[in-house]
Amino acid sequence: MSNVNISKLKEIVGEANVIDSSSEMTKYLKGSGKPAVVVLPGKTSEVSSIVKLANEQNVKLAVGGAVVNTQGITGGIAMVMSRMNQIVEMDKLNLVAIVEPGLLHKDFILKVAETGLNFPPEPYEVETSSIGGCFSIGDSDSKSFEYGPTRTFLLGFEMVLPTGEILEIGNKCIKNVSGLDFIHFAVGSQGTFGIFTKLLVKLLPQPEAKKAVIGTFASLHKANATFNTLIKRNVHPTRMNLINASFAKIAKPGTEGQLVIIDLQGFKESGKNIANEVASVLTLAGGLDVKIIEDAVEYDEVINGWLKVRAELNAKPERTVEFVVGPMKMPQALAQLEALTGDLGAYPGVIVEGLLGYVGLALPEGTEKLAFATKVNKLAMSLGGNVKGLLGHKLKAEVYNDAEMWKQTTSLLNELRQQFDPKGILSPGVSLEA
Amino acid sequence: MLSQTVVKRLKEIVGEKNVVTDKVGLLTYGYDGTLLSGEALGVVSPTTTDQVVEIVKLMNEHDIKLVPRGAGTNESGGTIPSQEAVVISFTKMTKIHEIDTENFVAVVEPGVINFDLQVELAKQNFYFPPDPSSFKASTIGGNLGECSGGPKCFKYGVTRDYMLGLEVVLPNGKVIQTGGRNFQSEPGYDLTRIIVGSEGILGLVTKVFVRILPIPRAKKTMLALYDKVEDASQTVADIVAAGIIPTTLELMDNLLINTTEDFTHAGLPRDAGAVLIIEVDGYPEDMDEQVKTIGEIASKIAKEFKVAQTAVEVDQIWTSRRSAFGSVARVRPSYGVNDITVPRSNFPKAIGGVLKVAKDFGVTIGVVAHAGDGNLHPLILFDQRNKEETETVHKAEQALCMMALDLEGTISGEHGIGLVKKKYLDKEFTPAAMEAFRKIKRSFDPTNRFNPGKIIDL
Repeated sequence: MSNVNISKLKEIVGEANVIDSSSEMTKYLKGSGKPAVVVLPGKTSEVSSIVKLANEQNVKLAVGGAVVNTQGITGGIAMVMSRMNQIVEMDKLNLVAIVEPGLLHKDFILKVAETGLNFPPEPYEVETSSIGGCFSIGDSDSKSFEYGPTRTFLLGFEMVLPTGEILEIGNKCIKNVSGLDFIHFAVGSQGTFGIFTKLLVKLLPQPEAKKAVIGTFASLHKANATFNTLIKRNVHPTRMNLINASFAKIAKPGTEGQLVIIDLQGFKESGKNIANEVASVLTLAGGLDVKIIEDAVEYDEVINGWLKVRAELNAKPERTVEFVVGPMKMPQALAQLEALTGDLGAYPGVIVEGLLGYVGLALPEGTEKLAFATKVNKLAMSLGGNVKGLLGHKLKAEVYNDAEMWKQTTSLLNELRQQFDPKGILSPGVSLEA
Repeated sequence: MLSQTVVKRLKEIVGEKNVVTDKVGLLTYGYDGTLLSGEALGVVSPTTTDQVVEIVKLMNEHDIKLVPRGAGTNESGGTIPSQEAVVISFTKMTKIHEIDTENFVAVVEPGVINFDLQVELAKQNFYFPPDPSSFKASTIGGNLGECSGGPKCFKYGVTRDYMLGLEVVLPNGKVIQTGGRNFQSEPGYDLTRIIVGSEGILGLVTKVFVRILPIPRAKKTMLALYDKVEDASQTVADIVAAGIIPTTLELMDNLLINTTEDFTHAGLPRDAGAVLIIEVDGYPEDMDEQVKTIGEIASKIAKEFKVAQTAVEVDQIWTSRRSAFGSVARVRPSYGVNDITVPRSNFPKAIGGVLKVAKDFGVTIGVVAHAGDGNLHPLILFDQRNKEETETVHKAEQALCMMALDLEGTISGEHGIGLVKKKYLDKEFTPAAMEAFRKIKRSFDPTNRFNPGKIIDL
């Protein structure tokens, strides 16, 4: 690998936007890799020139909104998108916005709310997540039952491909099946197909009313049982989440026990009735301090508490195991899980997104992640689920004793990546091998 | 023609009665919802994934291409055997493996008819939101292949939003599973999404995990009548601006009001310039206020606004709408359906554009539209036997597509590209995007064996 041509980078983005002193670089970086330089482009053409330069010199490049994960880019380029942080257009008539990728997720949500609109995806990390990152990761979250996963909110984008070429795709139509669906396929590709430089985002009207119902439980299982009761009663809140006792203290300082957070976004009339119904279900099941929250400030505090816990888990992927089962299978899943983990209330961290049948576990120090995930996957598969994502597919193939399927899947994924990035320049830290 | 060896092997794989090679039989698989046609080398109808794998391997050995087909109701030419190919028909893979309402998932084979699934789901008070107008005949596999929409997309989205996972036979004969029974199951890349809407050019889907939902507790259907189509589009804009998300905002113009009336006798006034069907769903206690708001908005411009009071009335309204395409056959023997879509704010301009195309080319165009989505289906009526007229119609269709693109829209909102719109694709997409499509196709199907010539050429 040849050295990064720093002076050429300075020509492209200006001296002030190239940082190569390691002490100044640290605030833009996470992980143990040692890139040669941090560069902050200000517009698409600059991103394109930088990527072309990386191609010419065969230098690896990784991208981040505010902070770049340095895995795999030692000696390479860390590109920070924080200067590209404008809302290019807010189109109320069509319920769409055009946004630059470096805009912080939290700032976007604020701006959208000021316009009277709603951008449902949750930030991955409360303070530093960007909109570009939101779609690069492209996950589901605890609101996906109602609003759909993150990809639902992308209608198009401008992207700098691994060769430096600029690709634009999509339009403001909420219904569009033209061509192959590269628009949604790019969501979750973690910067391997290209670097988002503009995002055309779908928005929704603000719900007429927002309420939350919270309650605490001595038993995690009793708390979770209320979710089954609600689903059986045909109540599908916006969020139906559970946080174990250890994590609950982060969400809401002073909480004793397992915290249930039910978020109700919708209409005033039904919201009132459902809130009452939910509150009585929680109370009857033994919930303590059950409370309907209508005050906007208090509501935001509760939701932010949830996001903080979620971010805590997201921050340490190497120490996290996530799985899904059928939502109604959750009581069995948690009971069987406890045989592996011991008391789930005291576990370092457990969150349940009830409507999605999702469980996130923060592993204790010293846990061998793969061995643990393998056991968890078996458990989940017996309940109509699996460990999340690529790792889950690998483990599933192992359970099926179907090495062929796993081989086919990864060879297809790698072929796709190779087609877009023949030199393997972009996001080398992203593995498609699990 | 297929060699005797291949025919014999096909019959061994799927059984004698599931292979068609006679001329008349082949003809019937050469059509779809468009005016195009082709003739397959043979038609084979597998009943299991293993058989699909065997067929793909056999075709690879003999260098024969495959065209997948469900009910053949599509409006894009996606299932036409336009090149020398064997048609693989999924209409015998009709098992509903599982309906799991507790966990919001159903597992079906691709040949299951959308309506049949709805009937089974309804028994448990559930439904599968995508219901294209063809849903009484079209298959889930076909809906998936074209990424069909329907009248509920404004609130509920299109087919892609209800696909959780797939079992796919790749062009090399290997089987993979994408996604799973839940969200959050994709392996690295969202393979489910790229296969949905790919019209079978990337892989053959043999099992589908679909997301199902409880039927909303309450629903209200409303009807607004207008003097002019433009007035109806104003109501649409005003409803959206009021922050209401109806499930449906369906529009029909005067021509279609009349053709559907001939057919259904639903009682729509024949002199109305346009009718708008509006539907909201949700909790019962929220209905009155939404109906009231919509009524106030519509009544500002509409000459008549009414709320359907009985299930029979609701049915009548929907029978009219669903029979729109078929009903025009009484006027002229042929019609061409277009699927142009524009950003909602450009909808009135698009209506104007359609009227202009009709005038410029001297053709008769009826308009039915999913107005909330900006998705218009201008139906051009003509006689296919008249070559000159047919030529004019093709030009008019091109003009409609260009008009939609000028209004920052797309040439397909829910029907797909297939053969019909392929020639306009590079007008909508930049060379870089077209090349991205080819990169994806090459990754799955480097030798271009699956549904060759559809959407893009390699």
